[in-house]
Amino acid sequence: MSSNIERCYQCGQCTAACPMAEQEQAYKIRRFLQMEKLGLKSEEPMAIPFIFYCTTCYKCQDNCPQGVKIVDGLLSIREAAVRNGNILPAHRKIGQMLMDSGHAVPGNEDAKKRRLQLGLTEMPPTVASSEKQLNDIKILLNLSGFDQIVAEEKA
Amino acid sequence: MTELSLFLGCVAPNRYPGIEVAAKKVFSRLGVELADLEGASCCPAPGVFKSLDKVTWLTLASRNITLSEKKSDDILTICNGCFSTLKDANDILKEDTTLKKEVNSKLAEIGHEYRGTQDVRHVIEYLYREVGVDRVREAVTRPLNLRVAVHYGCHLIQPLKDSNLEIADKPTFFDELVEATGAISVDYTDKMSCCGAGGGARTAVLDATLKIANKKLEHMKEAGADCIVDACPFCHLQFDMGQSEINQKFGKNYDMPVLHYTQLLALAMGFSPEELGIAMNAVDTSRFIEKVKTETLENEVCTSV
Ligand code: SF4
Ligand code: SF4
Repeated sequence: MSSNIERCYQCGQCTAACPMAEQEQAYKIRRFLQMEKLGLKSEEPMAIPFIFYCTTCYKCQDNCPQGVKIVDGLLSIREAAVRNGNILPAHRKIGQMLMDSGHAVPGNEDAKKRRLQLGLTEMPPTVASSEKQLNDIKILLNLSGFDQIVAEEKA
Repeated sequence: MTELSLFLGCVAPNRYPGIEVAAKKVFSRLGVELADLEGASCCPAPGVFKSLDKVTWLTLASRNITLSEKKSDDILTICNGCFSTLKDANDILKEDTTLKKEVNSKLAEIGHEYRGTQDVRHVIEYLYREVGVDRVREAVTRPLNLRVAVHYGCHLIQPLKDSNLEIADKPTFFDELVEATGAISVDYTDKMSCCGAGGGARTAVLDATLKIANKKLEHMKEAGADCIVDACPFCHLQFDMGQSEINQKFGKNYDMPVLHYTQLLALAMGFSPEELGIAMNAVDTSRFIEKVKTETLENEVCTSV
C-alpha cells in the first residue's frame, strides 16, 4: 500500500487531466505531490480542505509519464492530515455512521418503505439485520482505533 | 449449490433497492444462483475510508471477504466502489503476508480468519466473461428500442487494469452487454470521464462534483440518449439525485432516467419497470416507462410473427 511519488518530476500532466482541477482552481494535484515529496510542512495547512476534493477517478494517473501512483500518494497525504486532526466534518460524520450502523449510507424510513413495496425485507440482509454482526464490526473498529479518529474533538 | 454471494454494499439496499431486486431477477433467469452475503457491512468505501485509516479499511474489507470464504462462494459486487475495495483488499492480502498477519490478529477477536481462497467479481465483468454476451442475448424476451448512454465508472475500469489490460484499455465490454438487450449504445464526448462523486468528494464539495456531472450529462443529452445506464449505485445516485440538484442549483432542466445495468437487462427479460423500482428515481421516469411499455410491446408482437 506504499506510493512512489519520489518518481514525480513535476511535469503537470496530472493536473491537466484532472476533472476537479477544471472546476476548482485550488485543487492542484501536482502541487500536493510536490509538497509531500519536498516535505513542505508550511504549505500543508493551506492544502486543507482541498486535498479532500479528489474523486479518485485515476485520470491523472493514466496521464502520468512517470507511472506515479498518484491516487495512493494522495490518499496517504490525506491519512496523515487526518492523523493530525484535519478530518473534514462531513467525513467524520460518514465515519460515525459506519461506527453506528456498519453502513456508510445507512437505511432510513424512506428506504424501508421502498424495500417493502418491492417485495424485499424491510432491512437488507446485511449487518443491518444482525446485532451480533454489528457488534463484531464495532470490535474491529475499536481495535484499529477508528473510534478515536472519528470522535468529536473535545471542546 | 450456490455459486456467488451477492455483496449489496450501502447505496443499493438503502437508496436504490430496485437494483437489488433486478440483480436477483437477472441472475436467477440466467441460471446462476446468487445467495445473500448475510452480515456484510459497508465495503468500506475506498476513497473516504482509505483516507481516514487504511488499516481500518483493510480490516473491515477482509471481514466481508471472510463471510464469503466461510461459504466457499466468490463475491459478486453490483457497485464499482465495492468492487474496487474488495478486489484491492483481496489482492493485497493474498500477497502481503505481514499485513495478512496483522489483519488476522484483529479478525481472530471475532472468530474470523482471512485465508485468501475466494475471488471478487463485478456484475458487468462477470456477465461478460462467465455468462457471455450470447447467453445474455438469448435470455432477452423483450428487445429494447432505446438509445443508451453507457457510463462505465472509474472504479470498474481501474481494478481491471492490473490483470486485464485488453478489457480496460479501450473497453467495449459494457457496450456489448447493453446492445445485447436490443438497445443502441450511443457514442458521446468524454464517455470515460468521471461522474464526480467518488473519493468522498460528493460529501466534501458537492457543487464542484455536480459541475463535473453536469458536463457529462450535457454530452449524453447532445448524443440523444433516452437514458443513462451505469454499473454502480453511487454513480447512479450522483446522476439521478444529481440531476434534481443541478436543476435547482444551476437552473437546468434535466430529466434523464438513470438505470443500473441489471435493471436494463431485467426490463429486456420482460420484468415491469415498476417491480424494478425504476419509478422510484428522483428524476421523473414516467415518460420513459411509457415508452418502454409501448415500444417493447410492438417488438414483442414483431418477434412473435
Ligand atoms: S504527471 Fe506524474 S510526473 Fe508529472 S507532475 Fe503529475 S505525478 Fe508528477
Ligand atoms: S484522481 Fe483525483 S487528482 Fe487524479 S484526476 Fe481524478 S480527481 Fe484529479
